[in-house]
Amino acid sequence: MASRKIAKVKNTVRKAAKAVRKQATAARKKVAQVKKAVPARAKKLVKAATAPKSAATGELKLPALHESTTSTGLRVIAAERGPLPLVSVRLVMRAGGVWDPQGKDGLADFTARLLRRGTKRMDADGISEAIEFVGASLYAGVNEDVLSVYLTTPAEHFSAMLDVLGQVMREPTFPEKEVVDARERALAQFANDLDDPSSIADRAFTRAIWGDHPYGRDLGGNKRTVSTFTRDDLVRFHAECMGPRISLLTVVGAIDPATVAAEAERAFAGWTGGPDADPMLPRKQEPLAKAGTVLLVDKPDQTQSQVRLGGPGFWLGHEDYFPATAMNIALGGGFTSRLMNEIRVNRGLTYGVSSYFDTMSAGGIFALSTFTKTASTRVIIDVALKEIHGVRDGGLKPRELKDAQSYLAGLYPLRTETNESVASVIADMRMHGLGDDWVEKFRDRLRAVTPKDVAAASKKYAFADRPVIVVLGKASEVKPLLEGLGPITVVPASDYE
Amino acid sequence: MSKASPRSTAVRAVDPTLAALFDVHEATLPNGLKVRLLANHQAPVVSLYTFFQVGSRNERPGITGISHLFEHMMFNGAKKYGPKMFDKTLESNGGRSNAYTSNDMTVYYDDFSADALETVLDLESDRMRSLRISDQTLASERQVVMEERRVRVDNEIPGMMDEELGTLVYKAHAYRWPVIGWMADIENITRDDCQEYFRTYYAPNNAVLYIVGDIDPKKTLALVKRYYGNIPRGPSPASVLNAEPEQKGERRAVVRHPAQSPSVMIGYRGPAASNEDTLVLDVVQYILTKGEGSRLVKSLVYDQKAAVSVMLDWSWRIDPGTILFYLELKPDSEAAKVEALLYAELEKLAREGVTEKELQKAKNNLRADHLRELSTNSGRGHALGHYEALLGDWREGLSLPTFYASVTAEQVKAVAAKYFAPERRSVVTLHPEAGAEEAGDEAAEA
Repeated sequence: MASRKIAKVKNTVRKAAKAVRKQATAARKKVAQVKKAVPARAKKLVKAATAPKSAATGELKLPALHESTTSTGLRVIAAERGPLPLVSVRLVMRAGGVWDPQGKDGLADFTARLLRRGTKRMDADGISEAIEFVGASLYAGVNEDVLSVYLTTPAEHFSAMLDVLGQVMREPTFPEKEVVDARERALAQFANDLDDPSSIADRAFTRAIWGDHPYGRDLGGNKRTVSTFTRDDLVRFHAECMGPRISLLTVVGAIDPATVAAEAERAFAGWTGGPDADPMLPRKQEPLAKAGTVLLVDKPDQTQSQVRLGGPGFWLGHEDYFPATAMNIALGGGFTSRLMNEIRVNRGLTYGVSSYFDTMSAGGIFALSTFTKTASTRVIIDVALKEIHGVRDGGLKPRELKDAQSYLAGLYPLRTETNESVASVIADMRMHGLGDDWVEKFRDRLRAVTPKDVAAASKKYAFADRPVIVVLGKASEVKPLLEGLGPITVVPASDYE
Repeated sequence: MSKASPRSTAVRAVDPTLAALFDVHEATLPNGLKVRLLANHQAPVVSLYTFFQVGSRNERPGITGISHLFEHMMFNGAKKYGPKMFDKTLESNGGRSNAYTSNDMTVYYDDFSADALETVLDLESDRMRSLRISDQTLASERQVVMEERRVRVDNEIPGMMDEELGTLVYKAHAYRWPVIGWMADIENITRDDCQEYFRTYYAPNNAVLYIVGDIDPKKTLALVKRYYGNIPRGPSPASVLNAEPEQKGERRAVVRHPAQSPSVMIGYRGPAASNEDTLVLDVVQYILTKGEGSRLVKSLVYDQKAAVSVMLDWSWRIDPGTILFYLELKPDSEAAKVEALLYAELEKLAREGVTEKELQKAKNNLRADHLRELSTNSGRGHALGHYEALLGDWREGLSLPTFYASVTAEQVKAVAAKYFAPERRSVVTLHPEAGAEEAGDEAAEA
């Protein structure tokens, strides 16, 4: 399979889903890369359901939300949606990577993924069999802020599957053997990741741009930290950081809300532990520690350089969201963006280039991601910076803004097309205080953005300060090309194992 | 083995849940363009797919990769909407577009706000009618595709192994070369080659249009007729001969490249999509690698700890395809040992078959995944096209659940015995190499 464009879309409301899927499908991803006849898009066809025929008015509404709380304090939101006999469940809590203990990067993620490897009543094989026999699936993982568990199931098995979910949340046993095996697999995976240029460039970029901030940690951990994980670490993280009172269960699909409330009460009865209230990281918008520096990650076998540029952004729910998003669509979002036009269409320098805001609960970044053959590494950076600075200094033309608004407004309904995406957006609205009218008002708010708003946002986010530059490639050839961009540090790729 | 034979007697019932979802309106225009329309009013969005029956299967040495390079050229301007205007018009109307090329077909798709339907038909019909290929855009797009090849193949271990495997499995068939093409061919494809490709394969009689979403089928068909009706029919493209000789024994190749761990990619020669064995192999695929409790994942990853991950890809193809395994190993793994473990599992399946419970599990999962695939406009549009292109009729897709439900343990056993025979096997092993200074071919290419 070969195609015209890499799907490289980052958007705030799907972030948690993205991080989890990245873990859950790390194995499947590789096969998709070697597949030739099955479209890459097939793996994006996630579960969904369609409502019965109704008036198509162009209006966008979520299904009615039915809320309840179990006796142990777990908040539950049910949204009925048919007619396909499928249900998507999402359980979220603030127990993401930033809550990893000192020196234990990756513990939240590791713990999340081991939940299904044994409970008081079932061993790993029993759990897999229970879930997989009926055609359901269960994944868990974290992003920076949030730990998420995803369950999808045929509707007729909803109760049984919620029961399994309840067990893995309430009484995981983290068997010693499973912990040891998973640790060993993770270490092998870290080694193998060194052969995946894009992953290593992303890892280097995250560390470089955030420095000592908790968002700079490796979400999935690394060789040094994961090799120290013991069963006690997992047991402690589960007992102290995960619990019903900070959790939200969202259920979307062909199931009635009364059943959801009753089954949630049953499945999560007796779940204790965890904090009483959501832990919060203080919000911070500060200049980057390493602004103006260049990090060159040496991977001598490469014929292509991976390039990342980044500067400060903003947190989830920030007032700049709509003007900044409009700016980004025009700069590096769509296929007609300035960056795509100048770098790919006019110059043929790359197959993919995009810019994006990565927004977390307490902060965020604005970044660009691309790659090019070794010889054009400098050119691609220069053109990218020129385009970004062009927006910083001049904002957008009114027509450009209008086009960006129409583009995003037209496609926005696709984000509520599936049970899974509806469950995700509900969880995000609640988790990050976006407001229950987030979906309904999204397009109006986007359309209300003026050129003046965009100019102000561009001044703030389109690299007002010098960006952090990360390049992964063949250092002996790339280094001379980077002279003048800032102090260059060269490190081997193995630093990121 | 007679249980698993090409389709003959099977009269398959349409699944009632799916039948309710697929009230498809069909038409064929006088110029041969086939149209399939499906309304779904849940959200104000529409997906449009155009399937062209052309892929790397239709290429020859010297122009490998042209189907894909040409796919890129379709976005670079036509008569009414010139260079850059396709995306500009689509995006500013609330839409997005992309495309992919496989061994067998080239597929274009648009997702857009329902009120942009007419604009999209104008855009799509314009480029089918009157694509313009300039030297300048070809030169630039060629560079883009070379970067695509670098990122997917030259700097990616599974990519380079897969390319090696293709040339082992196939000696005569066009499935031998990668869809993206050999680097030297990408560099040398001419504008005339592209023009000829357009004239030969992009005529309306070689295409099917699928429109799914917030549409009125009757009005939409009238619009399709207005925009596509006057595009002239082309000659029928020449058929592709499958001259692949029988494989007489296992084939092996080694890739030496700097890497942390060895890895193994194995391809068994499978049947064509139209052969019913293909559907039984879908069941086999689920039994072997779907989920943590599947046979190979449980055995190789969890119980024997021999692999970090194990993957199986069985993709339908017009001509006999490849059942592909990829084993990701640990730095200290011995590839030969892990290979032996895999073969033991495959032999066990062929010898002892499956339990009824395992079989039922695979069926339950196939059904759930099938429903999920069909639950978005884009998923439905793609599925319709995929079934029509590979099985001859999109209706075949609606009866898949019935077929899968009917598969017996005997069939599974017979298919495993038939296809997982050592003489059908090709194996590529990656031998990690420490020093990276001699980049060999790659240095020559850059």
